[in-house]
Amino acid sequence: MKNIYVLAEHRKGLIRDTTWEAIAAGRKLSSELGAELTCILLSANATMAETLSTEAQRVMVVNDPIFETMNSEAVIKTLKEILKPSGSYVLLMGASNAILDFAPGLSVALDAALATDCFSVEVKNGKLFASRQMYSYKINSLVSFKDSERVVLTIRAGSFPFTSSNVAKGAVENVACPIDLTSLKKRFVKYVEAEKGDVDIASADIIISVGRGIGDEPDLDMFQSLADTMGGVLACSRPIVDKNLLPKFHQVGTSGVEVKPKVYLALGISGAFQHLGGIKGSPLLVAVNKDPRAPIFRVATYGIVGDLNEVVPVLDEKIKALKG
Amino acid sequence: MNIIVCMKWTPDTSEADLTVSTTAKDIKKDDLDYDMNDWDRFAIEEAAQIKEKIGGKVTVISLAPEESEDMLRECLARGADEAFQIWSDQMEDGDGFTTASVLSEFIKGRPHDLILTGTLAEDDGAGQLGGMLAAMLDIPSATLVSRIEVNDQKVSFVRELEGGLYESMEMDLPCLIAVATGLNEPRFVSIRAVRKVASIEIPNLGIDDIGIDAGKVGRSGSRVEIEQVSLPPEGEGAEIIKGKAEEAAARLAEILKEKGAIG
Repeated sequence: MKNIYVLAEHRKGLIRDTTWEAIAAGRKLSSELGAELTCILLSANATMAETLSTEAQRVMVVNDPIFETMNSEAVIKTLKEILKPSGSYVLLMGASNAILDFAPGLSVALDAALATDCFSVEVKNGKLFASRQMYSYKINSLVSFKDSERVVLTIRAGSFPFTSSNVAKGAVENVACPIDLTSLKKRFVKYVEAEKGDVDIASADIIISVGRGIGDEPDLDMFQSLADTMGGVLACSRPIVDKNLLPKFHQVGTSGVEVKPKVYLALGISGAFQHLGGIKGSPLLVAVNKDPRAPIFRVATYGIVGDLNEVVPVLDEKIKALKG
Repeated sequence: MNIIVCMKWTPDTSEADLTVSTTAKDIKKDDLDYDMNDWDRFAIEEAAQIKEKIGGKVTVISLAPEESEDMLRECLARGADEAFQIWSDQMEDGDGFTTASVLSEFIKGRPHDLILTGTLAEDDGAGQLGGMLAAMLDIPSATLVSRIEVNDQKVSFVRELEGGLYESMEMDLPCLIAVATGLNEPRFVSIRAVRKVASIEIPNLGIDDIGIDAGKVGRSGSRVEIEQVSLPPEGEGAEIIKGKAEEAAARLAEILKEKGAIG
């Protein structure tokens, strides 16, 4: 029988939400396959195991100071050893930046197939399927595995809402660290916080956000003017920071700043998952983009398909007029 | 310092209207423009900058058909010393695992201190090549790296976590680094710079040259099988405000006012 494993992700001593979502996906597979769900925790702090045991039938814990962080080399070496006796399994994890650092290497070490960033998983007639996105997030792709003895899946945030199961407390099993982790080739030094800027988009109610669609030599003043008229702040998606058009503290997204505005104008933003992941709450989301197929239109409340250089100045002018 | 950069040749789908092929296993690609994967552009730039700073040799490799030669020549113009194109028809329809298998066979036989590539490619969005390749070569690796400093026998680097948090780490050489976009400013490549490297031969290596079994490449070697691709269901989506740009903008201004969205 297949086993279902979920690797817990943690940071600074706390279980991250990606873990609960991976558990939600694991529960689905566990009921479809009739298999037991085991949560694996590699940590330097035993208290997190107690938290996990309220939601998993079984928790395997390896305690070692190295697991203060999720150092990819330590994680791969340890999981390779502890999963060796397991035979056939599906291992689930969140699709986070920490996990992206080791999931591919881990799949090679485990001799397992890998599908990253899955938004859906299911078992049909005993066969495992996963859905993910391709081609600038514009195409859905349903995948299966040639040999599904061992499969590693990473789960896209927000795809599997977690609800507490309130089941009886699971058993916590401490596993001795199976290998020597004292002389690693890769070493954590410290956390570094991004520089804070003179604009705090995290607390703004109205955000005017610009993306790749504004072109290589955009008229940023036009967008700033709209932001000023609306009483909002100017923000952006990643390509704008990559091109040095705006500093990093303007970037909305999972790797940038999380925002929770009431109104979000997405101008020339395609709507990549990493960008949308940074928009919390449920703002009035308005998108202007010349590509009618841009994924942003799937999540926006209102949309205009058109040229920003034509739409934005008129919008600015009309809002000024309406404000009187 | 021997630096190897792995480049991907990808269709530009960001603003293209995509349609599913008749087999429903992929999209129609005939009309799409192909170019260097955006993330890899930052990898070749970083390689060139490291070479300019501390010296060494930059080798560029890509598993891609003949049409990708322009990309490899552009890499030479960006500062690479040599480029290899790896392709056999059997390599068609592979996955990240088969690509990593081929590249690792090639790299194993050559001196390599630092391997660079982009963290993601926008076609499959899998982000798996770097980590798989490093595991096959048994060297440490890191993804989403936004700053690199090579000193002596190790690399100090910073990688992105979420919410404006980064982790500063170090790795012993040899190692693999998958870069994040934005870690440098890719240089402008003039036509003159491309002409200067026009005479450099770009060898094309097939499965026999690499010495890999045909069963380990392309569709036959891949571990993940695409069952079906589709356009996402239309769903609810945005209410599209129709009309000419001016009319639509005026209507949007009214909607924003009605919703109390004008501060």
